[in-house]
Amino acid sequence: MKKLVLMFVLSFSVLAFASCGGTDDGKTEIVFWHMSPVGSESYSGMKTIINDFNDSQELYKVKGVGFSFWDYWDKANVAIASRDAPNIGLSTIDDVVSRAQSGVLYNISELMEVDTSGENIIDLTEFRQSQMDFSTYEGDLFAMPFTATTRALYVNLDVFAELGLDESDIPTTWSELETIAKMIDVEDDGDIQRLGFDPTYGDATYHGWLWQTGLDFFDEDLNPTLNTQGHIDVLNWIVDFNTDFTRSQLTSFGEANQLLGLNPFAAERVGMIVGNDGLYQTIINSGADFNYTVAPIPVPDDDGIRVSWGSGFSLEMYDNGNDSEAEKAGSYAFYKYLLSEDVQLQLGEVNGWIMAHESAMDTYVVDRPIMQKLLIEVDYAIDKVYVPYAPSWHGNDWQPYYTQILDGDLTPEQGLLQARNNYIQKQENFDSVN
Amino acid sequence: MAEKKSINKLKKQENLIGYIFASPWLIGIIFLGGFPILASLYISFTNYDMVSAPTWIGLKNYTILFTNDSIFWKSLWNTFYHVMIAIPLGLLVGIILALLLNNKVKGMGVYRTLFYLPNVVSIVAMTLLWMWLFQPSFGIINEILDPIYKLFDMEPLRWYQAASSAKMTLILMGLWSAGGSMVIYLAQMQDIPAILYESADIDGANWFQKTFKITLPLMTPSIFFNFIMGIIGGFQVFTIAYIMTGGGPARSTYYYAYYLFDKMMTDNAMGMASAMAWILLVLVLIITAFALRLNKRVVYLGEEG
Amino acid sequence: MVDEYKKPRFTKKQRERIKAIILHFVLAIASFAFLFPFLWMVFTALKTPQELLQGFNQFFPSDPQWGNFVEAVTKIPFFLYLKNSLIIVGFVVLGTLFSATTTAYAFSKLKWKGRDKWFLVMLATMMIPIQVILIPTYIFYSQIGWLGTRLPLIVPAFFGGGAAFYIFLLRQFFKGIPKELTESAIIDGANHFQIFFRIMLPLSKPALLTVGLFTFMATWNDYFGPLIFLSNPDHWTLAIGLRSFQTQFGGRYDLMMAASVLIMMPTLIIFFFAQKSFIEGITFTGIKG
Repeated sequence: MKKLVLMFVLSFSVLAFASCGGTDDGKTEIVFWHMSPVGSESYSGMKTIINDFNDSQELYKVKGVGFSFWDYWDKANVAIASRDAPNIGLSTIDDVVSRAQSGVLYNISELMEVDTSGENIIDLTEFRQSQMDFSTYEGDLFAMPFTATTRALYVNLDVFAELGLDESDIPTTWSELETIAKMIDVEDDGDIQRLGFDPTYGDATYHGWLWQTGLDFFDEDLNPTLNTQGHIDVLNWIVDFNTDFTRSQLTSFGEANQLLGLNPFAAERVGMIVGNDGLYQTIINSGADFNYTVAPIPVPDDDGIRVSWGSGFSLEMYDNGNDSEAEKAGSYAFYKYLLSEDVQLQLGEVNGWIMAHESAMDTYVVDRPIMQKLLIEVDYAIDKVYVPYAPSWHGNDWQPYYTQILDGDLTPEQGLLQARNNYIQKQENFDSVN
Repeated sequence: MAEKKSINKLKKQENLIGYIFASPWLIGIIFLGGFPILASLYISFTNYDMVSAPTWIGLKNYTILFTNDSIFWKSLWNTFYHVMIAIPLGLLVGIILALLLNNKVKGMGVYRTLFYLPNVVSIVAMTLLWMWLFQPSFGIINEILDPIYKLFDMEPLRWYQAASSAKMTLILMGLWSAGGSMVIYLAQMQDIPAILYESADIDGANWFQKTFKITLPLMTPSIFFNFIMGIIGGFQVFTIAYIMTGGGPARSTYYYAYYLFDKMMTDNAMGMASAMAWILLVLVLIITAFALRLNKRVVYLGEEG
Repeated sequence: MVDEYKKPRFTKKQRERIKAIILHFVLAIASFAFLFPFLWMVFTALKTPQELLQGFNQFFPSDPQWGNFVEAVTKIPFFLYLKNSLIIVGFVVLGTLFSATTTAYAFSKLKWKGRDKWFLVMLATMMIPIQVILIPTYIFYSQIGWLGTRLPLIVPAFFGGGAAFYIFLLRQFFKGIPKELTESAIIDGANHFQIFFRIMLPLSKPALLTVGLFTFMATWNDYFGPLIFLSNPDHWTLAIGLRSFQTQFGGRYDLMMAASVLIMMPTLIIFFFAQKSFIEGITFTGIKG
């Protein structure tokens, strides 16, 4: 028995250590982390993009490692915290400043200044100013926008046709939205069979609706607002939109699909929905087959502002404090490669993302009418402000109050007051330890 | 004479032998576990956003948690509620399952595997099951209870959608993993000598008498084990709320471990999260140490402690 | 006292059969709720994406897509990941059985200075959420150069890492083994190593099986440990591979379920055979006349 155990241990050891080690053919290795793990749809495309770079020059070899989207953030956070980050990786644009402040990112503006290679020079005119503003710290760029997201109104045209409507009837104001939505509703014995629209479904957010009225959660000094009549009015509009059904019914109708990984719009249960650009990809992946289009999100009847919440990934070069000059040069070479027009086009095709490079995207959407419309909306998208004392001000810190308001357990006034007090408490606590 | 000598010698060696047998774990806790654990204690006295280096702030994290954080107390209460109800229920269900399945009737193996299934199946699939059962509008349970609702003229229960019933609902959902404790009980029951049952049969004892006078008393070591583990695990309840309710509605299922997780992952307040972890540790340790005292009174052992 | 012999209404055989039928009836009803998730997983694995869109309206697949299983296996480097999972699980089960049994023996049958305090420390290690020590642990492994290897996942098992649960469990089982047995062995001149190998372990087979099974399952399904600590993608395990089916935009649920079902099978099979030997194999003899 003991001998058996010993044999097991030895053979496992051999197996384990046999697969160690790598080859070194004199090239400097650059590590790039992305979100297309082996087995994902986009894996082979990403591999091609990386291989093309490696084949195009002699000095550097990029090694790409893909993690599933959901795991990427855990992995990246631990790596950055331990100063064991990859040479190049992705992150989110809105909080670039916090990483720049801590010195874990390379200064891109500096790298651009001393770049005399003439290859793949980054053309700043191709990137949106608002995204670059978010990536700027003390006057210098510490990241570049990599992708861009936005939100728009997705409209099921088959349902429209059924009701004798067409694209010209797509609502542009809140009251038009209500009218058309009611026409689409189908009820069966008190249960929802089909819903026209709900301001809480999909990727719609309270702050998204607020922004259309010129309001926000915070003022310029990052103090919480949420204390005006305008805030209350918008909440009332959201809560009262579908008065024919209880909130429980509306939640259940949405839940029925969410859990199964189905988007209610893709499953044709909702006629119109606010979705982000990813919904386009989701519909394709789900194999759904119906006519639909995309339009700007309807704005308030009076003084409405055309704006939506858009964000994006940032492309960052990480400084672990121990990179050789060769590594730094190689990383920057690959960095520029990833931001060049042709590669941005490829990246969009491979991943289904809207990339940040404007000309590349203009080419990409030539045969994709829905994407064309989404691309227009990107120009009207702005990112959410990064609030250091409440990074998830729109998520964890707001949702509990929001759902209580929606359920009717709190009035909008009460909910807003409680939410505001929570932000203030968080602000106090943050200030006392920083 | 020779026996006494060897017993004495062995007793002296026992101290050394004890360390030798415990050495793998001792080495592990000191050399492998020591640094991370002590580091987290240190971090709890700092302000650390996981990107810049930690800065020392002394007891500030702790004082803020205790004096200026309303959610801290809410989350602590949610966890306490869970522990107080889930533990007795969990013990009960596990024991009942084991009692039912500890026999040689044909096909029991299939059932034992079935009841253990939830522990093997992915949590995504379990979430679906719970939805299918507990969804207020289209869930099976409310459909079955419909006549009762009509009889008493009451609104159907909203289960996980209402703040008043969400915690209880999650506790019920947690019972599906009773299969894990069932396995431990079944293993323990194998050590009960068959001869005890045989002589009980001769004396004319029925199933109840055999269960309460033989089986359960001899199962107390594993019941006690599941009780202590229930305490330790119960205080860290998190995943089920993370997946099913997002901590809601109205933070009714926002457990202490969930709040800790958010502090770390979304607020980037690692120092505060570590402080929360150490507060929890001290709390659970005190309760566990207290519960361990029960060991001698409650647990039947084949020998003295 | 004289027992009166009463003629029972049913024979013993009939009574046994009635008991069995009632038992089956109760269990069958209860077990459906336990079976449902598994059935759903299998059916989802056999559906087409269009059928998935129907949600609960379409419970059974109309045209089982057995090809999904093949596709799930070929899309990811299934056999590489399988090999990696086996390596890690193999070592961890061995290591855990080794360190947990010896430590449990020390906590249960031996008296040594500081024993009860260390026992509390061991319990305390289960009260810290892993996320809080994650970054220091990662930095630690980075400093000693273990990142890039499988060592962070394997070595701790040999030193009781993550085994507090099992140490406690085995301690309880060992305590249930009567002192008389060990004492008579001592009188016969045995030392503690002999007692450990010849008495404690053989008598604890159900407990050892339990520890082995639980360790297998926990390690086999663990994706987080490998995700964080395995820098080299060639070392990745099945649990990580499963995650690649879930993309940002929904992903292929059908393939994901197919892969999940496949990955679940070893645990189920092992469990089924293990529980057989729990109940039908082991009899305990020679105690308390």
